[in-house]
Amino acid sequence: MRRYIYVLFLFCSVNITLYAQQDDTSIRRKIGQIAHTIKTMQCDFVQTKHLKILNDNMVSKGRMYYQQSDRLRWEYISPYTYTFIINKDKVLLKNNRRNDVIDVNKNKIFKEIARIMMNSVVGNCLNDDKDFKSSISVVRGEWVAVLQPQRRELKQMFQKIVLHFSQNQAIVTRVELIEKNGDKTEIELKNIRTNETINSNIFALN
Amino acid sequence: MKRLILISLLLISQLPIAQLYAQTTFPTQNGERIRYSSYIEMNGAYISGICVLLNEDGVIQGCLFNEFGITAIEFSYNPERNKVKLKHVIKMMDKWYIRRVLRKDIAQLMSLLYNGKTEYQNTRRNISYQFIPIIDEVTQ
Repeated sequence: MRRYIYVLFLFCSVNITLYAQQDDTSIRRKIGQIAHTIKTMQCDFVQTKHLKILNDNMVSKGRMYYQQSDRLRWEYISPYTYTFIINKDKVLLKNNRRNDVIDVNKNKIFKEIARIMMNSVVGNCLNDDKDFKSSISVVRGEWVAVLQPQRRELKQMFQKIVLHFSQNQAIVTRVELIEKNGDKTEIELKNIRTNETINSNIFALN
Repeated sequence: MKRLILISLLLISQLPIAQLYAQTTFPTQNGERIRYSSYIEMNGAYISGICVLLNEDGVIQGCLFNEFGITAIEFSYNPERNKVKLKHVIKMMDKWYIRRVLRKDIAQLMSLLYNGKTEYQNTRRNISYQFIPIIDEVTQ
């Protein structure tokens, strides 16, 4: 009798593992498929920085525009203004005092930042083993991908990055950046609109 | 005598102004916190971001992070001793010679903020600091 129970238990556990693996694979496939169909994406975002040492939250708001495969505008509107634009090989950093255009081909750090940001917006980073080791699970009706940084520069900054995907749309709706010191930044994407025409001026570097 | 009275009056008249600045540019009360739009420039390069200062029983706890939320520096400042203790410095800046400059410059900056000034220039190292208080509508 004991042997039967043991065999049954083994069978069940193998089944559960197989199911989890299939689930992980099918989720990745679905996210990848959707990511390819997203030509443009635009949304509002709310960024909350949790300061562990000060027991404080800093909330900032802004707007994001993405155009496959090499244009991104990440703009903070309140309580401060700051704009980060990726347009092909150029990155614009704009604050109240100055505008700086950086050629990513001449700056390795910015090339990496631009590549990771572009990959993360629609979830392409899940299939990029060089930057992150990732695992996916289903939590409270959404897909949650936990990314463990693999590169030294990223490891120095982040413990992990967590991407939340809506199951309906298979697109990123929330990002959590967990730093080495325990601080956490949450970015919630709201009013997401995909595949609508975006004026090219949005990505202009001036 | 008249000159002395005049100087006294001038000093007294400046007191409320100094306190007003201290109230708006430096957290003088226990539990008070102020957020700043921060800008540090050195040799053509710059770091911009947000700084939060919290008064905790007379000691100032500070945190500086960039616009994307990545923490660069955590520190505490003792106004009585004018001393800064660095609690965390982002790996790429975590060098002994950078820490030494940061400790001295942050202490200078804190003392200037207390007196209502929002800028500090380290002329020897050619580093300029600007910390402008943010009017915070959406902070929780």
